Amino acid sequence: MQIGKSILTGALALAGGAVLAGQVFAANGLATGDTSTKRIAFSNSYAGNSFRQIMIKDFERMAQKAVDEGKIAGFTTVSANNNVTEQAGQIQNLILQGYDAIIVLAGSDTALNGAIKEACGAGITVVAFASGVTEPCVHTVDYNLDSYAKAELDFVQSKLGYGPANILEIRGMAGDGFDKRLHEGVVKAMAEHPNYKSVGEVYGQWTGTVAQKEVAGILPSLKKVDAVLTQGGDGYGAMQAFKAAGRDIPIIIMGNRQDELQAWKDQHIATGYETFSLGATPSVSQVAFWTAQQILAGKKVPDFVEVPLLEVHQADLDAWLKVVPEGGVLDADYDQKIVGQIIDANIAGTELPSVAAPN
Amino acid sequence: MSDKRFRLSHGTLQLLLSAGALLIMLGAIFHVQPNAMSYFGFTLLFKLSMPLVLAALAQMMLILLGDIDLSNGAFVGMVTCITAVWLDPSPGVAVIAYLAAIAAFVAMGWFTHARELPSIIVTLGASFIWLGIAITVLPSPGGTVPGWLTGFTGWRPPLLPMPIWVALIAAAVSQWFLMHTSFGTLLRATGGNARAVQKAGWSLSRLRIAIYAMAGGLMVASGVLLSGIITSGDPNVAPSYTLLTIGAVIVGGGAFVGGRVSPIGTVLGALTLSLAGSFLSFMHVPATWQIGAQGAILFLVLAGRVIVDRRKLA
Amino acid sequence: MQQVANMPVGEMGAKAPLFLAGRGLSKSYGAVKALSDTDFHLATGEVVGLIGHNGAGKSTLINVLAGVVARSGGIFEVLGRDAGDWSANLARENGLRCVFQELSLCPNLSATENTRLLHPALKGFGWKQRARKTIQSALDTVFPDSGIDVDRPVGELSLGERQMIEIARGFSVTDSPVRAIILDEPTSSLGAEATRQFLEQVSRASEDGISVILVTHRLGEILAVAHRVVTMKDGLVISDQFNDGLSRSELVAVMGDLEPETRERRDAVVRDVPVFSHSSGLGDHDIELHQGEIVGLAGLDGHGQRERLRAVFDAARVSGLPVAFVAGDRVSEGLFPLWSIRDNLTIRSLSALSRGGLVSNEAADRLTQSWFERLKVRAPGIATPLLSLSGGNQQKVLFARALASDARLIVLDDPMRGVDVGTKHEVYALIRNEAETGRSFLWYSTETEEFENCDRLHVFREGRSETILDGERIEPNAILEASFGGLYV
Repeated sequence: MQIGKSILTGALALAGGAVLAGQVFAANGLATGDTSTKRIAFSNSYAGNSFRQIMIKDFERMAQKAVDEGKIAGFTTVSANNNVTEQAGQIQNLILQGYDAIIVLAGSDTALNGAIKEACGAGITVVAFASGVTEPCVHTVDYNLDSYAKAELDFVQSKLGYGPANILEIRGMAGDGFDKRLHEGVVKAMAEHPNYKSVGEVYGQWTGTVAQKEVAGILPSLKKVDAVLTQGGDGYGAMQAFKAAGRDIPIIIMGNRQDELQAWKDQHIATGYETFSLGATPSVSQVAFWTAQQILAGKKVPDFVEVPLLEVHQADLDAWLKVVPEGGVLDADYDQKIVGQIIDANIAGTELPSVAAPN
Repeated sequence: MSDKRFRLSHGTLQLLLSAGALLIMLGAIFHVQPNAMSYFGFTLLFKLSMPLVLAALAQMMLILLGDIDLSNGAFVGMVTCITAVWLDPSPGVAVIAYLAAIAAFVAMGWFTHARELPSIIVTLGASFIWLGIAITVLPSPGGTVPGWLTGFTGWRPPLLPMPIWVALIAAAVSQWFLMHTSFGTLLRATGGNARAVQKAGWSLSRLRIAIYAMAGGLMVASGVLLSGIITSGDPNVAPSYTLLTIGAVIVGGGAFVGGRVSPIGTVLGALTLSLAGSFLSFMHVPATWQIGAQGAILFLVLAGRVIVDRRKLA
Repeated sequence: MQQVANMPVGEMGAKAPLFLAGRGLSKSYGAVKALSDTDFHLATGEVVGLIGHNGAGKSTLINVLAGVVARSGGIFEVLGRDAGDWSANLARENGLRCVFQELSLCPNLSATENTRLLHPALKGFGWKQRARKTIQSALDTVFPDSGIDVDRPVGELSLGERQMIEIARGFSVTDSPVRAIILDEPTSSLGAEATRQFLEQVSRASEDGISVILVTHRLGEILAVAHRVVTMKDGLVISDQFNDGLSRSELVAVMGDLEPETRERRDAVVRDVPVFSHSSGLGDHDIELHQGEIVGLAGLDGHGQRERLRAVFDAARVSGLPVAFVAGDRVSEGLFPLWSIRDNLTIRSLSALSRGGLVSNEAADRLTQSWFERLKVRAPGIATPLLSLSGGNQQKVLFARALASDARLIVLDDPMRGVDVGTKHEVYALIRNEAETGRSFLWYSTETEEFENCDRLHVFREGRSETILDGERIEPNAILEASFGGLYV
């Protein structure tokens, strides 16, 4: 009975949000419907590595700020131990606990469908991020790996023009899903640059030492390398390999790791070397959080919201280098405003806004 | 006379312990979230316990024998894969695969006893075989399950929520079968003193095969239900079942010595353990502490059991 | 070797047809001949006593007869027909029942449920009620007023009660009649009264035409009920005698034992300061143990001796006195059946055998070997797994474990259950020798004659130590009188 009532309330709130949608938009495109009584939960499939830990902290910091500012009433995080039945159970608990929105980092694309459907059925807004949940009732917030590859080649083009140029690709791990999708993006992007020639592929396993060994192994067979496409974590090792071989250092795209940015800066001071860095950030949880908040506030949000990659250009290198933790990955907060812009850009199909460098 | 009364209270005390732990946790959850005390709430709280209850009963059959099944989770995972790949397009193939899986499980049990190997080792080895088969059948999580199955697992039956019905029926049927039928008594005797059974002229192999076949059947049912709930198959969907089911049997009053298990207790134990996780998140225990806290709950219930057992001896 | 083997069955046997007859029965385990070329027959209604040392082949013979162990050779006929591939199942169908030495009840089941094991007919609707009635009426016949709860798991009952259930179950009837019953040490845990009831039942059964094979070390029981006594030694039947005025000493002589001479009383123990003293708090006698003293706990079965024994053991252990325990229920309390003799023997002494934190294998071997020889354990060597030893030899290993340790006080919990006469006397002598060296023993037993070895005896009645008997006053009549509170005898 009580649940029934809460479903009704939820539905009314949603309906109310839709009716009011026209009136409550602030000038900057943010929906300003009242979400001060709403509570948002984060269901995380795994908390056992540093990336996920930072991701949780990012979410909790931003959610706490939202609570302090009276934008939401409360939040929680639950993590399953890489076990989808456990995560499904946790989502069911969150439904019972009456959360208004749940952001989900799913341990499986399909196994949570039952639980997620229950949540949607109970009138709860579900935002899945960094995972490909197939249940149609969710909004998905994720990076687009085609964009990752395209951004890499766009930068190469800005430096080398339309070629001809020799390209070395450092991939992740054979058989890995992320590696597969990113490589497909590279293949697509390369098709648009007919004068670029792929001269080799190595598997660097997103690790500096492995990448260095693999690149050092292939270098003697390569005459000239103009640019190196990477997947993150491997740029520093690639640069070391070129140095050790006494070769000219090509454009090596970096992946926002502290060691990569530092090596770029050292090289820049020494030789005026310039390159470009990009990567995903753990703070994608914040994008999901604000997306959920915006849906609750009445904003119309597309089913898929693409999140921009965090890009570092030469001009901002020093500023970013100051905030990246020793041995860590670059992270940046996404506030409500930029998330609103990201959503709007997705709707309009325009270029995604990028996060401004810290002052 | 007083002796008899005390014994009765001891028998029920074991059950009361898991039931008590269950009620305390439910009470706390309802206190925090009165909404949960409803048909819908019970459905959500216990939905995932349905397959666990059946898998725990399967584990119970082996612990009854003095064996232990470390392949329980992998086997259930394999069944979800078979279900997700075949049950919808070709149910006949699926049924044959289920029967083959049960036959393989029985063969494993027969092998264990024929060669007098420790089941802990054989089942650990078998768990990798089940996982290997599962990955071959369904390399990455996914597949589809028939609509009638998702419909069944999501069914809202009259009077009581589905998971409660499943638990009640499973407990009643297994309790009746094992504790009250003459065949069930034979099975318990096999666990209690196999040589006595043999000396009385029964075929131990047949009894053991029967036990393993029942355990296999229960795990197939568990896997089918689980794939109905998660609407897909996944080789690695249930690794935690292995330890959860063993925990459920022990929390429910079973012992590793063989012959001493309680079907009702096992069902209660499975419900208790599956609720423990929910309980902690309702109590807002931080995620990082939950695994440890779940262990603490298990520990508390088992400590309660030891106290009960001590009182029995005193 | 067979002195009187295969002689005619005698007065009652001549009239009665044979229930079973075996010729040239043999059983080998690898190179070991447990039973070699043995003839054995059993007439309808006949009671045959089967005696012999531990390891003489009695267990093998009855296991072959019961179909539990397949014979390696020989002809075997049941009711005049060739038994062919005899099995436990066929034995059951032919009305042959067994009550085995190592209790063959399932501890997790009640008496009612255990009855079901023996009776395939007990199935279908209402089987439990029928099973309950079956065992209850059998119990009421054999052991009236036993007060045993047939719905309680037998594991929670005392050894004596379990043995009663096992015996009663052997005599219980459902669809097919009992024709013969083999009883292997059935009275080892029974008190005097239950033993009397049991022997009456054997006589009654015999009158009803049921054949009985009674295997026991208690020669008095055999002399009381058996028509014929068969003696085995080294896997052979060495004697087959009718029981017409046989005496105990004749039987012992046949088995190859000498009738134990009445023991010499040892010098009185000096009783100054007790090594250990234990008060029950019930206002009965304190149990005091002096250096070198053997103290017995006597009384009718189940009058609190055992509980007191445990209490003393626990208290002594807490007090820090080095103390060792020898359990009578060796299967469930004492032994590691899969371990070797050596490992079983040295487990109580591991710290004494340690050199720099590791157990010294040489020292363990030496210690084991010396006790192995002193106790004359019959086994190929100290590495033999205990499982392959006979019951009496297993018990010797348990003794050796306690004696090899540094214990000053050794607590014996009815340690001679199912042990043959010869072994018993070896162990008695050993206990007396150890007492001379200053060790103290606290000894609970169900066999009154064992108390002759004690220096002092506490006789228990209704949970209390009511009477103390000293030195010369320790004799069976006095014990019995004290047990019954002086009202009887």
